[in-house]
Amino acid sequence: MSIVNFFIIANFTVPEKIDVNPQSILWLLPLVASIAIVYKVTKTPKIKASAFLKEVAILFGSIVVFMAVTAIVLYALAWLITE
Amino acid sequence: MTQRSKEVHTLFLILVGLLAWIVPGAGHLAINKKKHAVIIFVTIVLTFCTGLYIGSVGIIDSVGAKPWFIAQLMNSPAVATLGRMSQTGDYAVYAKPNEIGQIYTSIAGLLNLLCIVNAVYWAHLRRTQTIGV
Repeated sequence: MSIVNFFIIANFTVPEKIDVNPQSILWLLPLVASIAIVYKVTKTPKIKASAFLKEVAILFGSIVVFMAVTAIVLYALAWLITE
Repeated sequence: MTQRSKEVHTLFLILVGLLAWIVPGAGHLAINKKKHAVIIFVTIVLTFCTGLYIGSVGIIDSVGAKPWFIAQLMNSPAVATLGRMSQTGDYAVYAKPNEIGQIYTSIAGLLNLLCIVNAVYWAHLRRTQTIGV
């Protein structure tokens, strides 16, 4: 194995240190971006940079807002049940 | 369409699907959608590599996490090689990084499945529109 290959693979052999805390939820943002990009690619027959970026941003925002609203509703529901 | 033409068309669709599975974006490249191919390749490979970086190669577990492995396999057949590597047990994997890594790599696989279906659909659509069926 060459030195370059060794260093590339070495990056993927030890897990990152991620604690269980509210900040770890932020890991969903890059994933939502990926989903928004790939989904819009499959729905757009001809890609033009500005229009494509705008649509991706709208979808990204919609998903994040929907998830935030869902989280608030579930939190409120849990609070009502337990209080 | 004649019988021969239909057979060639079906073979082409299978080829597009296989290419899209082997290398993310290659299916779209085969139907001459270069921008789509580049965006798909970069996004899916980046998502998959992010998952591996967070959780290590050990998150590709073909024995203990079979449903996840099936989704991860949708990225490329090359993932099976990583699965064999991780079976040696040399790669540490635990707790939260394992969860996040599995989610990233599996979602990347499912997104590639969407792209495979999309490439095959567009290949079929292009053909039927050309001959007016």
